[in-house]
Amino acid sequence: MPEVTFAVALWALRLLFLALVYGLLLQSIGSLQRALGRAPAVAERGLAYLVVAQAPPDAHRRGERFPLRAVNAIGRDPGNDVVLRDDFSSARHAVVSQDAEGWWVEDIGSTNGTFLNGDRVIHRTVLHFGDEIEAGRVRLRFEHA
Amino acid sequence: MRLAVPTSRPLSRLTETRLLFWVAAITVTGFFTVALALGQGLDGNAFIVPTAFLVIAFVVHAALAMRGLRGDQIMLPVSLGLTGIGLIVIYRVTAGTDAASLLTLQLAWFVVAMAAFLLPLFVPRDLSLLSRYKYTWMTFGLLLLVATVVRGEEINGARIWFRLGPLSFTPWELVKIVLVVFLAAYLDEYREVIASRRGIWRVLPPPPYLVPIVAMAFAAMFILAFEKDIGATLVFFGIFLAMLYLGTGRATYVVAGVAILIPAAYVVYRLYAHVQLRVEMWQNPWQDALGSGYQILHGLFSLGNGGLLGAGLGAGDPQSIPVVWSDFVFAAFAEETGFIGALALLALYLVLLYRGFSIAIAAPTTFLQLLAAGLTFVIGMQTLVIVAGNAKLIPLTGITLPFVAYGGSSLVTNFLSIGLLLRISAESRT
Repeated sequence: MPEVTFAVALWALRLLFLALVYGLLLQSIGSLQRALGRAPAVAERGLAYLVVAQAPPDAHRRGERFPLRAVNAIGRDPGNDVVLRDDFSSARHAVVSQDAEGWWVEDIGSTNGTFLNGDRVIHRTVLHFGDEIEAGRVRLRFEHA
Repeated sequence: MRLAVPTSRPLSRLTETRLLFWVAAITVTGFFTVALALGQGLDGNAFIVPTAFLVIAFVVHAALAMRGLRGDQIMLPVSLGLTGIGLIVIYRVTAGTDAASLLTLQLAWFVVAMAAFLLPLFVPRDLSLLSRYKYTWMTFGLLLLVATVVRGEEINGARIWFRLGPLSFTPWELVKIVLVVFLAAYLDEYREVIASRRGIWRVLPPPPYLVPIVAMAFAAMFILAFEKDIGATLVFFGIFLAMLYLGTGRATYVVAGVAILIPAAYVVYRLYAHVQLRVEMWQNPWQDALGSGYQILHGLFSLGNGGLLGAGLGAGDPQSIPVVWSDFVFAAFAEETGFIGALALLALYLVLLYRGFSIAIAAPTTFLQLLAAGLTFVIGMQTLVIVAGNAKLIPLTGITLPFVAYGGSSLVTNFLSIGLLLRISAESRT
C-alpha cells in the first residue's frame, strides 16, 4: 500500500510543519519573557546614585540621593548636575562619568581637592559601587541604581 | 556625540541563532511538504530557494554577531520566519503555473531587503541625522510621490508603480517610513506646543505649529488620491493620527481625524468608480460572482475550506484566487493550515508588535521612542487592514501582508523598519 504510506507521511510532514511554526512562536515568546526579566524597569534607568553620607548640617540632609547620568558635573555652581551647598567645595569641583569600561571620577581643578575613600584624586580614577567621594566637607557614597 | 554603533563582544547573539534554527526547520519542512504534495521534484526551486534564503539569513545573522551588535534578538528571526512562510506560500501557489518566476524574483528582492536591513546597523552615523534633516527627508518623500503621479504606471486601477529600468517598485512604501521619521522629528521638537490648548478656541494648539504637519499630511494624501490607492491613503492617515496621539497623548486628535475621515471617504467613494466597485463587492460579492466579486469570493471559499485544521499544505485550492500571492496570501495560508495555522501566523505578528513597542518604551530619546513606535505601528496597521480585507470585514485594499506577501518594495521597506528598530534597541541598553 505505497499510496497510503505516502499519504500518511505527507500528513505527518504537514503536522510537523505546524508544530515547527508553533515552536518558533513559543520559543520567541520565551525569549521575550526572559528579555523582560533582564531589562531594568524604565524608571530605574537613572544609571547610579550619589548618596550623601556626611555633610554640614545646613548644607545637605544625610541620605539625600542624586541620580546620575552618563556624565555628571559636581560643584557649588547651580549649573552642575550635582549641586553642593558647601562653601568648601569649588564652583566646578569634579566630574563623575561612565563609559564602556565603567565609572570614573575626575577632579577638575578644585581648590580643596577631591578625595576617593580618603585618597586625593589626581588622575581620572575608576569608581566602584560603595566608594566614597569627598568634595569640600560633603562626603558622597556611590551607589548602584 | 556617539558615532559608532554600540557593540559588545561577539557570541552574544545566541538567542537569535537558536530562533533562526527554528526558521530553518520551518522553511525546509514547508518546501519539502509542498514539493511532495504537488508531485514536484525536489530539485529546482524547491531546493534552491529555501537553501539560498537560509544561507543569506545566517550570513546576515553572522554579520550582526561578528559586529558584536547588542540589542534585540527576536525581531530578526521572527520577521525571517514570516518571510520563510511567505516563500512557502508563494511557491505553493505559483509552482507549475506561468507565475512560477515570482518565487525567484521574491528571493532576489529578499537580498535587497537584507541590504536595507543592514544599512542602519552598519552606517556608523548618529540616528539624530534622521531628525535633523526632517524637512529634507519629507521633501524627498513628496517628490517620490509626485514623480509617481507624473511618470508612474497604472496597474489594477491604482497608479502606484514606478519603473526604473527593469525594476518596478511602489514608492509610497518608502514614503511611509519617511512620513514616520518626519512626524517623529517634528513632534519631538514641538510636542508641548502641539499638545497645548492655547490656540484656536482654546481647544487647538496655535496654528503656526499645526500648519506644517497638517499640510504635509494633506499633501501626501492628495497625491495618493491622484494615484487612486485607497489602501495606501488609509495607512497614511492611520500613521498621521497614531503619531499625533503618541506624541501628544490627546485623544481629541484621533476623534477629530476620524470625524474628518468619514465625509472625506464619502467624497472619494462618490468620485471614483473603482472605489465604489470595491465597496459594492465588499457588501455583496455575489452580485457579480464571476466578475469583480470573483477574487473576494474565492478568498472566502479558501478561508472556509481551511476550517479548523486546514486542508493540508499542498492539498487546498488557493490558486483559484486571482493574484493570490500579493492580495490573498493570508487566505491561502489559512486554507492549507487552517485556523490553527492562521492563529500562529497572527501570533507571530503580535510578537513583532509587542517587541517593537517595548523597544519604543526603552528608547533613550523622545525622537527614538516616537520613531520606534511609529515603525511598529505601520507593520501592525498593514497586517490588520489586509487580514480584515481578506476576511471581508472591511473593503479589500491593495495593502501587502508584511514580510509574507509577494512584493519587493514592501519587503525592502519592512526590513528597513526592522533594521531601524534593532539599531534603536542597541542604543537603548546601558
